Amino acid sequence: MDHSDVLLLARAQFGLNIAFHILFPSLTIALGWILFYFRIRYARSGDPAWLATYKLWTKVFALSFAMGVVSGITMSFQFGTNWPGYMQKVGNIAGPLLAYEVLTAFFLEATFLGVMLFGMNRVPGWVHIFSSAMVAIGTTISAFWILALNSWMQTPVGHVLDGGRIIAGDWLQVIFNPSFPYRMTHMLLASGLTASFVMAGLSAWRLLRAGEDVSARKTLRTGLVLAAVLAPLQIFVGDLHGLNTLEHQPAKIAAIEAIWKTGQGVPLVLFAIPDDEKRRNDFSIEIPKGGSWILRHDANAEVKGIDSFAPDVAPVAPVFFAFRVMVGMGVLMLLAAWTGVWATRQGMLPQRWMLWTFSGLTFSGWIATLAGWHVTEIGRQPWLVTGILRTADAVGGPSGAQLGASLTGYILTYTVMLIAYFVVLTHLAGKGTAA
Amino acid sequence: MNLDLPLVFAALMGLAILLYVVLDGYDLGVGMLMPAADAREQELMVASIGPFWDANETWLVLGVGILLVAFPTAHGIVLGALYLPVAAMLIGLMLRGVAFEFRVKAEGWHRGLWNWLFWFGSFLASFAQGLMLGRYITGFHPGFGYYVFAMLVAASLCGGYVLLGATWLILKTEGALQKKALGWARWGLLWVALGVALVSLATPFVSATVQAKWFDFPRTLALMLLPLATLASGVFVWLATGRMKRGAREPDWTPLAATVAIFVLAFAGLAYSLFPYVVMDRMTLWEAASHPSALKFMLVGVIIVVPFLIAYTAFAYRVFRGKARAGPYE
Repeated sequence: MDHSDVLLLARAQFGLNIAFHILFPSLTIALGWILFYFRIRYARSGDPAWLATYKLWTKVFALSFAMGVVSGITMSFQFGTNWPGYMQKVGNIAGPLLAYEVLTAFFLEATFLGVMLFGMNRVPGWVHIFSSAMVAIGTTISAFWILALNSWMQTPVGHVLDGGRIIAGDWLQVIFNPSFPYRMTHMLLASGLTASFVMAGLSAWRLLRAGEDVSARKTLRTGLVLAAVLAPLQIFVGDLHGLNTLEHQPAKIAAIEAIWKTGQGVPLVLFAIPDDEKRRNDFSIEIPKGGSWILRHDANAEVKGIDSFAPDVAPVAPVFFAFRVMVGMGVLMLLAAWTGVWATRQGMLPQRWMLWTFSGLTFSGWIATLAGWHVTEIGRQPWLVTGILRTADAVGGPSGAQLGASLTGYILTYTVMLIAYFVVLTHLAGKGTAA
Repeated sequence: MNLDLPLVFAALMGLAILLYVVLDGYDLGVGMLMPAADAREQELMVASIGPFWDANETWLVLGVGILLVAFPTAHGIVLGALYLPVAAMLIGLMLRGVAFEFRVKAEGWHRGLWNWLFWFGSFLASFAQGLMLGRYITGFHPGFGYYVFAMLVAASLCGGYVLLGATWLILKTEGALQKKALGWARWGLLWVALGVALVSLATPFVSATVQAKWFDFPRTLALMLLPLATLASGVFVWLATGRMKRGAREPDWTPLAATVAIFVLAFAGLAYSLFPYVVMDRMTLWEAASHPSALKFMLVGVIIVVPFLIAYTAFAYRVFRGKARAGPYE
């Protein structure tokens, strides 16, 4: 087994782990705050429907949270076992940021989740509300550290070279690096959208099954309204994030837009099949000068293409397609949310076909989030840390056979877990708040 | 300030790992005891650990996190050599972690499956951790005998966790289940005795350094307090559970406290054997340490956060003090 096979297996394993893992935080970060909102509504109104809603969604939260925790533990081990070069080169940056996540977020959310789930009858109301706030804060702090680290890997600043390895010069610069504010906001909004579509989708499923359910109507409306507000915000923030990437990682933008050659007045490629070997687009549909206009807000401006960065360029096709999946999902979610808000106005119940549509879109946030992470992670290749460390130089550790064994084990485990998750979620939604 | 940062972080890492072993030890132990109980008892057993298991497991992330962050070179060697047991442990922890949720929410045969996976995951994780310990203290020597030794250590660590889990149940339950737990504790104790004896005899045999540290008169006499205190704790657990079995009234927390004492003492002995190595006879903690800038930045976080961490952990244990009651999500 040679180096490239080990690299491929290690990337497959890490990619599988991180893709599986991100599904659950992207739901729970926002769901924690939504639960806090439900809890407050109950405390203020004393309405048992709010309590029932809170309890049902707490179950969804607890289940998703557990999935996130256990897959997160697995990932924390892999940094060291499969990417020793990563820790060697940038461990003095990555390590402390991860340690801060454990110290400030993991213990907080884990401990208060216990009180939140099992302590409602054991502690005064305000302590319970406080605990659910701590859980929501914990998940958000966790996102803060992880996105700080990932953003630093995308746009590293604030570090110095110290005998072949990187150490922090200015921690504030490291944490608040150029892409961090955009990536953090983009991810928090993505979580909000993911959670609101899961809520709307499962509530729609409940209404299809039961016909009438006060709590499901409440959560359908809450989810749709939240999504209708967040979707346009996300499109706006996503655009800002893109412009930030153009400034700091122009090679990634060239891959996203499938611009092979640097030039003035480059077209906007709406659709194409990028050919990474021949370095050209097949079957492309383009808007002349559109690329320059969108990226530089000037139809004749120069835009750098892949040729300016070769050979350090990402594979274009996956980045190009993943970006279009993400944007396509975003537009679809915007349309669905706005239509849904209109269809549920003044307590109206949407028509069945519309409920089916919302059910179908339950996990649309997951697709968009995964696509978005594919864009940003594959778009950074061949670098693991932009300009500092190549992915190929970071891999090491176990042999191909060991990797094969562990990867098989993870695939089996994740498959079982994911099937069980869907079965239980469908079941919970079907039973509604009567459960 | 001239602080020996690697030493400070070695102490912190040791503390995190010890806390992990004791805390997740009792909930893994309860998981392994599941097949020995009936359905109603199983609900009580899970209810007794439900609010705690997640935070307990976080100590593992912290312990391994400190190893990774403060001693990156040692992390590579240790976890590289233990790659497959680590993967097995992680799969075990994943299965049992989600089984907490699934076994309550699933229906029909799914529920039975998740009950089984809860037991299996707990067992797999415990056994893998024992394997890791057995391989680690023999310096990852190849050779058939060393693997057999690691298997024996793995079996006794399972016994140790069963002991922790059973004495936890003595504290958290009453009546028939508590009675059963007394019996389980005594079985666990026998395995622990075997494990502690094995490790104590094997480590000086494997490493001349360890031998020199323990068999150095007159220091040996003072050091003998450690095994003696361990033995006394073990005898105490045996006698106390015996009296409780016969119906005598005893404080229900003492068997757990004595079991924790066994773990702390065994851990102290192991730490004394290893120090100053992080990889037996190969790498000291100073050789493995990362850059002071990273360590300093983390130490600030530790100093600020740990008091809060202790405060809210104490708060959670206070909220859920007393005997466990069945029924999730009250």
